[in-house]
Amino acid sequence: MIDMNHEEAFSELAAVALDVVPTEVGDAVRAHAAVCPECGPELTAMEATVVALGELVPSQQMNRGRGAGIRSRLVMRARAERETHSAGSEGPPDLSRGVASLTGLGHRITPVSQRTLVVEGGKQKTPSQPLAARPLSYESKDRSLVKWLAMAATLALVATAAQLMRVTADRNSMRADIALRDTASLDTASRNDSLTALVAERDAMIAAISGSDVKVVALTNESARQPLGRMFWNRTSNDWTMVTYDLRSPRPGRTYQVWLITDDAKISAGTFKPGADGKAVMHANYALARNALRAVAITEEPEGGVPAPTGPMVVSGTATS
Amino acid sequence: MNPSEPQLSYPHDTGSNAEDAALIRRMCDADETALGALYDRWMRSLYSLVMHLLKDADEAEDVVEETFWQAWRKASAYEPSRGAVSTWLLTIGRRKALDRIRAKRRRKEEPFGQDRPFADLRSAEPDPSENAEGFELRRHVLAALKELPAEQREVLELGYFSGLSQTEIADATGQPLGTVKTRMRLGMQKLREPLSMHRQGPE
Repeated sequence: MIDMNHEEAFSELAAVALDVVPTEVGDAVRAHAAVCPECGPELTAMEATVVALGELVPSQQMNRGRGAGIRSRLVMRARAERETHSAGSEGPPDLSRGVASLTGLGHRITPVSQRTLVVEGGKQKTPSQPLAARPLSYESKDRSLVKWLAMAATLALVATAAQLMRVTADRNSMRADIALRDTASLDTASRNDSLTALVAERDAMIAAISGSDVKVVALTNESARQPLGRMFWNRTSNDWTMVTYDLRSPRPGRTYQVWLITDDAKISAGTFKPGADGKAVMHANYALARNALRAVAITEEPEGGVPAPTGPMVVSGTATS
Repeated sequence: MNPSEPQLSYPHDTGSNAEDAALIRRMCDADETALGALYDRWMRSLYSLVMHLLKDADEAEDVVEETFWQAWRKASAYEPSRGAVSTWLLTIGRRKALDRIRAKRRRKEEPFGQDRPFADLRSAEPDPSENAEGFELRRHVLAALKELPAEQREVLELGYFSGLSQTEIADATGQPLGTVKTRMRLGMQKLREPLSMHRQGPE
């Protein structure tokens, strides 16, 4: 992180509050402000000012159906995530175990205190034991001893060099292995997160359409032999799940809008566009009296949706009691 | 689909913030209904802000959804000492909107320093949907905006609406970087004064 003194941090407070500085500068200023009695309150006040400016923008209303759709998706995702965690939580992975097993340190590197050196006919001595306990006398030994020592030294040197090369290669290999596994581990974690979210979403959808108190409305039109979609209303959780199977795309600049029709209202349940294969899935959460639903209809409307249906009806279905 | 639209509330409204903070605590306990309640309270303000910045309904809706989802995932990261929940939420939303504007600018889809002046902001006329305190704050901040020297207002506009860095603002305006930094700091200090007074006033 950038090291920043008080004057430098103070001069950047406005820019940090406006979020127009590089991340590393923002982090440095915030780190300083967290412990500075002058910069901390000043930054907080400036951030609140930025938000107050945001409150001054003209109020704009999101399309109610789309707003409700976003709300429903958020709540369903959050619920699905909670249920997934509570059902299958095994706690965070033990990273220390993972690292130990990845590096293999436990069996590849032997502590110095346990290392041995083989000398003199296989007898083991630790390095702390003196290797030259016996005095050598060149006068009393013949040249063969000198020759032997030279050979032994050469062999030791070669062995040491070989050992060094092997350890270096081993270390490099381990580093590459760790890097590779770290990358793979991150990819796996990312994929795991995605799959977990997908499974949770599917679980939530299954729960929404398979409860004991689910009303199903088949959606069709005059030219279709089979239903083109179905609306599942889970009257216990107030979740609405609509699935379409073979719906043509709306015209350019238009969108489909779903309506829940009661005796006295046509309630927008959101807008959608089917995929190229005509399929679409839409969720909403809306509380409706158990027997209030009379029909479900889909109309083609201008992009963004409308407060009340204006366009041609594409499919509809009557809710039977 | 939710028939009851919430009343707008403001960051300085401590009663409102206590309710928001309670919702955040419930979100930390994995209560998804609290996320729904927080969405009901702040969706409109957040949408208005990001829509004003992005000028695109689809993108604004994406940012609203991303913002509340981040709030759910990072609820435990909210620090009450650093401001109201709304400040936290709107800051996340604005940051996400600016990221999109900057990405567009990198792809050359967005003009450099597109004009989104403070003059577009709401007038000081009272809005029946807001409380009196909110109206007073808006009035004070708008008055402070009007008092700002044009060069300070320009620097703030380029930073606030377009997310231009100080260096980019210097390039766009032909002013030295140091001058831009000074103008931005002075402008923000002048704007924050009414907010500070407003916070202290009703006590």
